[in-house]
Amino acid sequence: MQKIAIETCGLTRRFGAQLAVNEVNLAVPEASIYGFLGPNGAGKTTTIRMLLGLIRPNAGEVKLFGEPFAEKRLALLRRVGALVETPSLYSHLTGRENLEVTRRLIGAERKLIDRALDIVRLSADAHRRVREYSLGMRQRLSLALALLNNPDLLILDEPANGLDPAGIHEMRDLIRRLASEFGITIFLSSHLLSEVEQVANHIGIIHQGKLVFQGTLAELQAERHEHLTIGVTQPDQAATCLTAAGWSVKRLNDGLLGVAATTREAAVRINSLLVGQRLDVFHIALTQASLEDIFLNLTNNSAEREAA
Amino acid sequence: MTIFRVMHAEMLKLKRTLAFRMVFVAPVLVVTLIFFILYEKKEFKPDFDLWDSVLKIALNFWAVFMMPLLITLETALLSGLEHGEKQWKHILALPVTRKSVYLVKLLTVHILILISMTVLIVLAVLVGFLFMKIRPVLANAGMPPWGWIFKHASYVWLASWLIMAIHTWISVRWASFTVTLGAGIGGTFFALFAASAKFGKYYPWLLPVNVFSDQRLKMALLIGIIGGIVATVLGCWDFVRRDVA
Repeated sequence: MQKIAIETCGLTRRFGAQLAVNEVNLAVPEASIYGFLGPNGAGKTTTIRMLLGLIRPNAGEVKLFGEPFAEKRLALLRRVGALVETPSLYSHLTGRENLEVTRRLIGAERKLIDRALDIVRLSADAHRRVREYSLGMRQRLSLALALLNNPDLLILDEPANGLDPAGIHEMRDLIRRLASEFGITIFLSSHLLSEVEQVANHIGIIHQGKLVFQGTLAELQAERHEHLTIGVTQPDQAATCLTAAGWSVKRLNDGLLGVAATTREAAVRINSLLVGQRLDVFHIALTQASLEDIFLNLTNNSAEREAA
Repeated sequence: MTIFRVMHAEMLKLKRTLAFRMVFVAPVLVVTLIFFILYEKKEFKPDFDLWDSVLKIALNFWAVFMMPLLITLETALLSGLEHGEKQWKHILALPVTRKSVYLVKLLTVHILILISMTVLIVLAVLVGFLFMKIRPVLANAGMPPWGWIFKHASYVWLASWLIMAIHTWISVRWASFTVTLGAGIGGTFFALFAASAKFGKYYPWLLPVNVFSDQRLKMALLIGIIGGIVATVLGCWDFVRRDVA
């Protein structure tokens, strides 16, 4: 059986009357890159804060490497590196001094500073004060802080936040390299699916505090149902007509219609039906839903369930 | 021991900070003031006691005014280091106990204040020697009363445990500089009115200067030390339980 690096059981946290995290059961396999997705305010940061013991859950339990966090906090944190939201740096100190502060706090060996600087490619700028650093450099230095205790598990909260495209690209490479070269389990949160699908092999999607999907990237991709996209100048009539003929019809953007069908024969039959009704068809194509659509679907469904 | 590691880290954070520079600026201000008071004085009566003037004024002014304000500023600056870029979430996700992080903040204030008081005493003694040279009337003042200095400096420090504990808690608890400075300035300012009142002997911001009054000395040490320990335990208890934003 695959070993689990992070496991939560019914993890729940309230802020006043609001349920920020609602019975979340995470299972993050060891040596995976786990993308923790959700729109802003979905409960990602609250979950991460509970994983790190920064805030306490109202209910539920966190286990890291199979051990209960609440009882073995210090021992478990020794195996974890974290970057929570914005970089936490002392801007009056140099890059190297910032690493030295954390090194002293955790009692790590001095040589690990050079290693961490090397991994994030900041060795040349280590002598400069952090207030002179660009946002990308600050983000990389924060990652170096997280790597300082040679962690088995890296928890990164929105690591690409505020970075420019080049910075995002660099961060992505770094994350891949950490997983492949050092075998570190990486748990990273983001509100952008496109960003996560390029690095993660496991995905969890959280929406309004609830985990609405958890599985491998392949499993998520399997949810990409194909459909026919149909363009008609009279979409309302066409929709009525197709529904009457037994097709399942969905409104898409730009007045296009989506029909749950995947074959050429279906396309031919739909076309003759519409043309027979003197409707002007200008577009028929077989389309695969993007992951972004699936993401929106999952989050919308959960919103609808919530409303019901 | 975690606490030594945390302390070691804290020392590095002080590099290039205003918090560290103020340790020297504050006593220099007090001693400069004393220098000018004495310099302007044209006549010295035969029974004028140089050391009594220099050291008593220095320590009194320090205890009633400069030290409470310095404690306020130092706690605000030290905690400001962690509030600034929300370093709490980084530090407290490391394998260190929260208790040690809190106690080190308090200990650092103690260390800075003790350094500052040492600088004050050294400078005040130097000013005394300087006047023995430039004012022939004072040439026979003799050696400074080391025993008196050490005893009273210790009293002032012990009586300030309570305000150090209170200000450490306030500065850690509230990220806003305004809250922290407001509490300290308010506390120190109100002391001017409390000094003559009966409850003045219990008023935290007056305790350090109360050690110079024979009637109030015992109470000042008692409340300063015991109150300081109780406030430390409560502050630490609050910090360990609090959510980290």
